[in-house]
Amino acid sequence: MLFGKTKLELKVGIFVFTGLVILGTFILLIGDFKAWASGRRINFLFDFINGVKVGAPVRFSGVDVGQVKEINFIFNPQENKTKVQITGWIRREVKVPIDSTVWINTLGLLGEKYVEIIPGKDYAHLVTDQPITGEEPIATHEIAKLAKNIASDIDESIVKIKNKEGTIGKLLYDDAIYNDLEALVADLRQHPWKLFRKAKEKPVTKQ
Amino acid sequence: MINFLIDIGQKLLALLSFVGGLANLAGQAFYWALVGPYKRRSIFDQMKKVGVDSMPIVLLTAFFIGVIMALQIAYMMQRLGSEMYIASIVALSLVRELGPIITALVVAGRVGAAITAEIGSMQVTEQIDALETLASNPIRYLVVPRLLALSLMLPLLTIYADIIGIFGGYLICVHKLGISSSMYLHITFDALLLKDLFTGLFKTVFFGMIIALVSCYEGFNVEGGAEGVGRATTKSVVTTFILIIAADCFFTALFYFAMP
Repeated sequence: MLFGKTKLELKVGIFVFTGLVILGTFILLIGDFKAWASGRRINFLFDFINGVKVGAPVRFSGVDVGQVKEINFIFNPQENKTKVQITGWIRREVKVPIDSTVWINTLGLLGEKYVEIIPGKDYAHLVTDQPITGEEPIATHEIAKLAKNIASDIDESIVKIKNKEGTIGKLLYDDAIYNDLEALVADLRQHPWKLFRKAKEKPVTKQ
Repeated sequence: MINFLIDIGQKLLALLSFVGGLANLAGQAFYWALVGPYKRRSIFDQMKKVGVDSMPIVLLTAFFIGVIMALQIAYMMQRLGSEMYIASIVALSLVRELGPIITALVVAGRVGAAITAEIGSMQVTEQIDALETLASNPIRYLVVPRLLALSLMLPLLTIYADIIGIFGGYLICVHKLGISSSMYLHITFDALLLKDLFTGLFKTVFFGMIIALVSCYEGFNVEGGAEGVGRATTKSVVTTFILIIAADCFFTALFYFAMP
């Protein structure tokens, strides 16, 4: 029996081969193989990470250079405190200076969290294995609290203005200043010389 | 009242004997598929019928589905001002769900019905009995090539469907909605994960098995001449559709909870 000699086998062969080629291309396009090829670990220490998940992007100077691989708890006996250590996997060529600033940032429409590294200046000392301590992200409830405080302050001021209290309240509602000003202008129009008289009597010597 | 209960009982018995018969057929078919040897010629014949000959209709359907998806999502996304996400939604829904299911349904309608009609008319004209008389196992001779061909070809057809569907969405987005070509492709492949592709393709292997087994089962069970063949074909297509969608629901739930 001969194989590969019939038209039928040729047709099926072309079909299967093209399908497999498309599948291979698809996999190569989807899978980010370059990121795996050469990379290294980088550790960050946080008190609070605001919901960063494994697989979240790590950005250096705003460029995606890797992703979060592990999130662990680390107990620090000196401070007597549990900290969160994020282990990221970043491209090998990215040099992270030791005085870089790290924080958790929020991305896009759905509020995806990612780790943002803003490079420092100390390129003589690069980050190796020891973790960089990250700046704490502000928790959403704290932002809400702050906003509420500000809003209540503004509210208070507006109530005062409405009640004609304080300088702004008086300026807006009390027409005494307007009347005085009008009287002054009228007076000056009638007696413009009043302006000069004072200046002559009291020449300004002080600054 | 009694008649009603009898009716329900008969339906239940019919359902149970369908499940049992299908399991019996599946067991024998898998046994012969593993044991071999195969009739290469008939496997290739079925592969051509399932894969190569179904390709135009699958591609056409997938292309239109891609265009429709892009337009329908654009309707919503333009209100939100985020046309950027059309690409990722089209790609994800096609690769994860629509590609596999559309391919399976089209193939079930086209190939499944043909299998039932073919085996059914062989049954009616007593050719199956003739095969057994000649010491050829009808399952090995008829079912195994169809089972192998369907479960191998359906994933491949799905890959074609995915690509063509994405291409349909691409045409609409780039030429009608003014999203730049490289941007569309970038977002498409950025949104997809290998997991999405493989869960989509994994399902289709089972869809292929469902199509092959149900169609063959209904074909073997034809009774009463040409009319019986027609009835069996209808029944086979309906059963296959329901089972495919049920299996899809099962796999989607499985992947959702097992691989979040």
